Amino acid sequence: MPITEILPRDIAVPVAHPLHSPGARVQLRHAGRSFGGNRVLADLDLEVAPGEFLSIVGKSGCGKSTLLRLIAGLDQPSSGSVLVDGVAANRAGDRLRLMFQEPRLLPWASVADNVAVGLRTGPDPEAVAEALRAVELGDKAGFWPAQLSGGQRQRAALARALVSHPGLLLLDEPLGALDALTRLTMQKLIRNMHERAGFTAVLVTHDVSEAVALSDRIIVLGRGGILSETRIARDRPHTAAELAEIEAGILDAIFAA
Amino acid sequence: MSLAETLNRARFAGWRPGLPSAQSLLPYAVPAAILLLWELAGATGYLSDTVMPRPSTILATGARMTASGELVNHLGVSAARALAGLVVGGGIGFALGVANGVSRRSELLTDTTLQMVRNIPHLALIPLVILWFGIGEGAKLFLVALGVFFPIYLNTLHGIRNVDPQLIEMGRAYGMNGRTLFRRVVLPGALPSIFVGLRYGLGIMWLTLIVAETLSASSGLGYMAMQAREFMVLDVVVLAILLYAALGKLADTLTRALERRVLKWSPAYANH
Ligand SMILES: Nc1ncnc2c1ncn2[C@@H]1O[C@H](COP(=O)(O)OP(=O)(O)O)[C@@H](O)[C@H]1O
Ligand SMILES: [Mg+2]
Repeated sequence: MPITEILPRDIAVPVAHPLHSPGARVQLRHAGRSFGGNRVLADLDLEVAPGEFLSIVGKSGCGKSTLLRLIAGLDQPSSGSVLVDGVAANRAGDRLRLMFQEPRLLPWASVADNVAVGLRTGPDPEAVAEALRAVELGDKAGFWPAQLSGGQRQRAALARALVSHPGLLLLDEPLGALDALTRLTMQKLIRNMHERAGFTAVLVTHDVSEAVALSDRIIVLGRGGILSETRIARDRPHTAAELAEIEAGILDAIFAA
Repeated sequence: MSLAETLNRARFAGWRPGLPSAQSLLPYAVPAAILLLWELAGATGYLSDTVMPRPSTILATGARMTASGELVNHLGVSAARALAGLVVGGGIGFALGVANGVSRRSELLTDTTLQMVRNIPHLALIPLVILWFGIGEGAKLFLVALGVFFPIYLNTLHGIRNVDPQLIEMGRAYGMNGRTLFRRVVLPGALPSIFVGLRYGLGIMWLTLIVAETLSASSGLGYMAMQAREFMVLDVVVLAILLYAALGKLADTLTRALERRVLKWSPAYANH
């Protein structure tokens, strides 16, 4: 696939600022979640290291979003524990930020005001301007969301998620609704931001090549829990053939279930 | 904010103040033609002044009554009643709409009662209201407020209920709590619907006021018209009717202008 050639996966990104938040550590211990009698996740053990980029793939309905909501603290495990930097996820507060499949911008607020929603404490126009520049929306600060394209809206949502320099970024199929070309640009942007800012990232996606393009580690989730785990070393470039092979292996694991 | 305004201004770049285009005058062509025909029919005797006075007669009457201060007085009284009823009824409607929109318990407590009251045409209460309040200001205020209450209550409630739940989840995930969430997400999201309620409410406001003033009042446009009827002064009757129409149009225009300002973020208003 040409994707792997378009995306420079070993770009040496200049270290921009010393404000990096060190990434957060995520720990799931025997975590389970049932809805009524429907046990979606059971006895899940998973650890995400600070600064790691982890992707979760798997068939539709296998519990990827449920897992992400547990880590986000939007939902509580029925059993076991979910910890972010050693505290229960629902008390991790603004150490973590979430990006949804839809941009979910406030239509009545300017792009800059939408990004400011992500700030932890009082107004900070400089941080907002910097976050917008980082996603290449520096000239759109005064626009209404309705005046942006789909890709620009999702970039504004990314700026909102990162403006407070979170330790953990959670992404639930954030690029699923974008066209193929915009998706590639966004993947590159997310990977750049990750390497620059050093946050931990957990991405849920149904697109295996997207997971391969972005992640340090990919897990395949299924009814039986974690079905497979693949590490992709980022310290050297991979050939297209290598990446295609990795991708094929992951697809096999998904469909073997 | 500033950039969006600049863009909007750029859209109006072709528009020169002081020179209304043919396009903008078009809506007034039909009313103007009617006035002209009406005047001609009166002047040539086709339309008797005892059935329908001519526009020029009405205009003269209006000028005379303005000069004497009589008209301004009645107009002021009517406008004050309308405004008071709008503020009281609209205020309570908004407050209850918000309360029932955000609190399930509040809704359970009051909504069924309000729905029952809604089924009583408020003008049917006039005999009762006159018994209670006589022909004092209380009667008019009560009726107008009751009439305005429902559209604003219902549309506020509907607006709040229909705020995108995904935006609310986003707000929560970004640490907004009750009050902030309401101010930044729920209320702005409900505003388009609240404006619909306000515009309906204004229509009911004038209607109620006309009826109430016609039946029982000692001042105001409706009283002016009824008194003129007693003395068979037809031009004053028609003048009062036209003034009601003008006031209604004025209120609607002001609301639309406000709406365009407040909802300028919406693509639905971007081209106006
Ligand atoms: N709030 C909920 N109530 C009941 N069932 C749920 C709820 N959330 C998710 N589920 C169920 O959990 C399963 C996994 O859902 P989800 O995590 O959204 O899957 P995925 O994101 O992998 O497509 C589905 O069968 C879904 O019906
Ligand atoms: Mg999902």
